[in-house]
Amino acid sequence: MTFDWSVIWSNYGLLLQGAGMTIVLAALTMLIAIPGGLLLAALRISRVAALRTVATGFVESFRATPLILQIYWAFYVLPATFGIGLSPFATALLALSMNVSSFNSETFRAGILSIRKGQTNAGLALGMSRLQTMRYIILPQATMRVLPALASTWVSLFKDTSLVSTIAVAELSFVSLKLRAETYRILEVLTAMAVLYWAMGYPQAKLVEWLHRRFRVVE
Amino acid sequence: MKQPREGTNVDGAPARVGDAQEPILVFERVRKNYGDLLALDNVTFKLNRGEVACLIGPSGSGKSTLLRCANALETIDGGRIIFEGIDVASSSTNVRKLRQRMGMVFQNFELFPHLTVLHNITIGSTVVLGMSMRDATIRAVELLRKVGLPEKASEHPAALSGGQQQRVAIARALAMEPDVMLFDEPTSALDPETIGEVLSVMKRLADEGMTMLVVTHEMDFAKRVADWVVVFDKGALIEEGPPSQIFDNPLVPRTRSFLSHLGWHGESIVEGDGR
Repeated sequence: MTFDWSVIWSNYGLLLQGAGMTIVLAALTMLIAIPGGLLLAALRISRVAALRTVATGFVESFRATPLILQIYWAFYVLPATFGIGLSPFATALLALSMNVSSFNSETFRAGILSIRKGQTNAGLALGMSRLQTMRYIILPQATMRVLPALASTWVSLFKDTSLVSTIAVAELSFVSLKLRAETYRILEVLTAMAVLYWAMGYPQAKLVEWLHRRFRVVE
Repeated sequence: MKQPREGTNVDGAPARVGDAQEPILVFERVRKNYGDLLALDNVTFKLNRGEVACLIGPSGSGKSTLLRCANALETIDGGRIIFEGIDVASSSTNVRKLRQRMGMVFQNFELFPHLTVLHNITIGSTVVLGMSMRDATIRAVELLRKVGLPEKASEHPAALSGGQQQRVAIARALAMEPDVMLFDEPTSALDPETIGEVLSVMKRLADEGMTMLVVTHEMDFAKRVADWVVVFDKGALIEEGPPSQIFDNPLVPRTRSFLSHLGWHGESIVEGDGR
């Protein structure tokens, strides 16, 4: 068996573009999914039962079905049934954001509920509104606590973006698999793909470890 | 030093501090249920301006519940609580405005662990009163000096001892310049060696004329500092009066037995120990 790595060197620009798209997609998704998760968490602990029910239904449907199904659903069903025709990129962003928002909402909710009641009482006793207590007292503490969990979600998201290659978004997986199909250099292309994912993912995993240590709860 | 504030009215009843003015806080037949448990059973008493009242009684007798009802952290199921002429539990009352004028100190301090000591004290005045950070900081530094912790401004609460944390919590409440301070067992969670520093801060506040309602198990503090002592048992107020009455000549047998359970046998026996 002979290796021909020239296929990588002559297409490295394309691969790096794919890697760039992976980063953009993951970053935009998280940018949407953090406020999205906060909003869903707020609805799930709201005192209005109807809001709780809607938010819970939303979160549980996205958490309990495979991401790839959600991507396909957004890609095929939205345009066919609802006449909403989005670009593959927008479709991918929509599906990923909804999915990660649902996971983030559970993370935030757990974080908020882990702050003891006395902290809320202390805020209220100063004359703060419930919203001010949430913003200045509870959320900052909850966020510190869930930062490691959010970082883990980020690392998963980073790899899960590969699933949107199924709807022709030109991120790293799509670009690599296309290159493999065109050149038949399976081993070389998949190796290059693995190296790129690893080179981007490993430092992130290390960062998560560091966050876990740095933000250990001290009371 | 605080002047002795007790006297006798023409009709023989003990005069109370601030009797000339409208009372600041009035509890009228206050009732509170937790399911089947009657936590507060028709509790009626008043707190005058400038007065220090201590609530004493066995654990679970409703003292803390009463305090939390006073600033609407708990709802009541009957009766009324009137603070500065306003019905605390009325639906038209702006509870936040009332709470701004009542400082609250909790048993477990409840300092905000993500904020420095300084910011714990400034957050109320900046967020709630809309004060500038600069003015709030000036006030906070002054208060830290008052509670004896000026060097701790930039520390986080976790770096402080329990007694220091509670003193910061007192400063945090004072930063709102409240009309009354509510203390919910402020020394119960403290190591014995740090209780004294908190009590002496409270004593100083009382000497300055602050109106205080203190739930406590520190009988020495109640006897030395309180103008008025209220005894609770099983959700009901069983006796109230000046400390001389409660500690030396309680009228109700249950008060006597509660105090003797705590090892309090009246001043004569305490003095007798010195023989």
